[in-house]
Amino acid sequence: MRSAIFGRHLATSIVMLLGLTVVLGFGYPLVVTGLSQLFFHKQANGSLIYRDGKLVGSELLGQEFTDSKGNPLPQYFQPRPSAAGAGYDGSSSGATNLGPSNPLLIGFVAGVNTVGLNGQPSAVNPFATKADPACVPVSPQGTPVTSPAPGQKYAKTASGSYVCDPNTVPERTLAYRQLNGLAASAPVPVDAVTASGSGLDPGISVQNALDQAPRVARARHVPLQQVITLVHRYTQGREWGFLGEPTVDVLELNLALDGTP
Amino acid sequence: MSVSGWEQLLFIVAVTAVAAPLLGRYLAATFRGAGATGSTAPGDRVFLPVERLVYRTLGVDPDSSWTWRAYALAILALGLAGTLLLYAILRLQGVLPGNPTHAPGMSPLLSFNTAVSFITGTNWQAYEGETQASYLVDTVGLVVAQFTAAGVGLAVALAVVRGIAGKARTVGNFWVDFTRSLVRVFVPLSIIGALVMVSQGAVQNLTGFRTATTLAGGTQKIPGGLVASMEAIKLLGTNGGSYYGTGGAHPFENPTGFTNMFDLLFVIVLPFAIIFMFGRLIGRPRQGYALVAVMAIIFVGHTVVSMQAELHGNHLLPASVSQVASGVSPGGNMEGKDTRFGPEGSALMTVGTMGTTAGATDSALDSYTPVGGTGAFVAILLGEISPGGDGGGLYSILVLALLSVFVAGLMVGRTPEFLGKKIRAPQMKLVLAYVLTIPVTVLILGSTSLVIGPGTSSILNPGLHGLTEVTYAFASVANNNGSAFAGLAANTTWYDTTLGLAMLIGRFAPIVLSLAIAGSLAGARVHARTRATLDTGGPTFAAFLLGVIIIVGGLIYFPMLILGPIGERIIG
Repeated sequence: MRSAIFGRHLATSIVMLLGLTVVLGFGYPLVVTGLSQLFFHKQANGSLIYRDGKLVGSELLGQEFTDSKGNPLPQYFQPRPSAAGAGYDGSSSGATNLGPSNPLLIGFVAGVNTVGLNGQPSAVNPFATKADPACVPVSPQGTPVTSPAPGQKYAKTASGSYVCDPNTVPERTLAYRQLNGLAASAPVPVDAVTASGSGLDPGISVQNALDQAPRVARARHVPLQQVITLVHRYTQGREWGFLGEPTVDVLELNLALDGTP
Repeated sequence: MSVSGWEQLLFIVAVTAVAAPLLGRYLAATFRGAGATGSTAPGDRVFLPVERLVYRTLGVDPDSSWTWRAYALAILALGLAGTLLLYAILRLQGVLPGNPTHAPGMSPLLSFNTAVSFITGTNWQAYEGETQASYLVDTVGLVVAQFTAAGVGLAVALAVVRGIAGKARTVGNFWVDFTRSLVRVFVPLSIIGALVMVSQGAVQNLTGFRTATTLAGGTQKIPGGLVASMEAIKLLGTNGGSYYGTGGAHPFENPTGFTNMFDLLFVIVLPFAIIFMFGRLIGRPRQGYALVAVMAIIFVGHTVVSMQAELHGNHLLPASVSQVASGVSPGGNMEGKDTRFGPEGSALMTVGTMGTTAGATDSALDSYTPVGGTGAFVAILLGEISPGGDGGGLYSILVLALLSVFVAGLMVGRTPEFLGKKIRAPQMKLVLAYVLTIPVTVLILGSTSLVIGPGTSSILNPGLHGLTEVTYAFASVANNNGSAFAGLAANTTWYDTTLGLAMLIGRFAPIVLSLAIAGSLAGARVHARTRATLDTGGPTFAAFLLGVIIIVGGLIYFPMLILGPIGERIIG
């Protein structure tokens, strides 16, 4: 009796699902697509930016401003670190998912997650270098070593110190200061040394842009004030005055710089 | 918290406080007559012809009302048919049309996991959105499943309300409740929501990847897709499954600070409205307010804790990294968060949706501080009742309310009563089974995963954080939330199987048990209220219910939290 009821419900379910597939699977998205393309054509297609008729990106997606070797181009504002593919890969959005105490994020911090050369917990970081006390060493192939073992080989510099994983926050902080010619003790905005949630973050903080402005001005041989004016022009404030955070759209700012004689 | 953090939270609370009662009034008017001949509801002129067409096609008599068993069987049948259909689509997507990104067919286990995940409304995604799912899968397979899960949730809630509070021995007609909830609630609201999202920059097109030449001379693939239409039902249906791998962090899904808050509202307003609807349907609006108050207190509690923790930042970063929030820098723990949301906006959206079964995230939970992540974890462990899923929130908190009147009844030595009906041993057995099913599933499967190789080898982050990755995964799927500490490599034989199992238990056991409770109370005598009757609509009972919720959730899971985030915070 009960199985007969179940069988009848199953038949009804199949008819229902086929109907839903037609109406909601095809009809609903197509209705939304039609209306979107009609009323919000630009947004629905990804807020694309064209220069001289060529597609250069999207207002909403960050992109890389590096040379073919992956070094940052000094004449462009640099976006945040990205975990999307090899960096700002639109087909592979994502975050690092590194936990707040993971050595790949914070480095080997004494008293928190440091280990000795034998892999056992240690009070100090044996891989510390002069520049980076939280250095996480890399293997000769360049992979970070977070669980050292006695036979492990490490990459070393010419002066004999360990080569550090460049993607930890302490290393990124050093690299950011060096790129922008900041003093060794200068504070670095947190968004400049952490990877975003999407890996495609189009924005950086205003402080991050202002810290980069002098370098960009030098590389382009334009007055600093002109660059700072552009930074403020491309700063998007909080919506309605309180929703979200103010950001500077890196791609639009760089496009504007390229358009400036 | 900062001024703008408080402003965003107040904005959410204020809009919900205005919108949810209004929507609740509409829902009550829609479902009071349950579509029986002769009853009227708003929008009948548009909706009724559509519904009649559906009933005729299905061969359903909309005036018939069923026992709880028949109602549950219909839900199980729909679940089975839906899972099989979706499984077939996932397996065959490589040869089916609508696949401009050339996604190959999914493996049998991944297809099982994904099919179950979307049919149960969990939306745990062990696959990569951009590359492993075709347009056909996303729009046809997954979107249909998301509408179905939403409609089932609301239908169950309606049946449970009829059983617990009504005079009839039957609980309603599933096909009628399901059809009406889609036709009158989920489809129209989804279309409106999707258009709002597109107007702000969410994409909705059929072009596949476009290739851009970047300023630096490289190339970038710009994704497309039917994103907004999926995003709308993902949120409105408290589903949580995104078009893109990174979910609500993706600028094409959630482009601005405004959409971030709009998305959160799109998740939580409807579950709150369903509670207001409940109060109106039973003719005791105060009872609805009491439940809403409990849910709202928990919601504000876990979001404020997480917002504060994320704004405070990660103290293990070098001191020279400036994590202080100001007008020119969001500050805080920005790892895994996008600049336009900042630490507080991210925590508000992500942890705000954790009290629903949506689990929609705009940031990487795995990278939250231990305290910030605990906010999300606790919201899930309390059983998704702040404000819970569409319908799921209502039947969950009703079961907890029954537990509370029972405990209160023991204290004063009277037979417990809820809405005038006596709560006795048969109901309490079912209530206890309901309360225990999910914790038992989570703790057994989670602890097993921690001691066997196939379980531990998927962990990304070392130490206590890794333990949280595993236990969070089981808690999340068993409560049909679907969010993740995403470092866990979940597409393995062990996790695809066990997590799929946990989703099935976590979805269908509570549905069947709550319908059984409703069935056992359906037609029971309604006693007149006397001076000695416990008032379940007042602040005393609300506070008592809150205590029961915290003690039940807290005692069961406290050891797990100690070994996970709390331990991590103490050691770090």
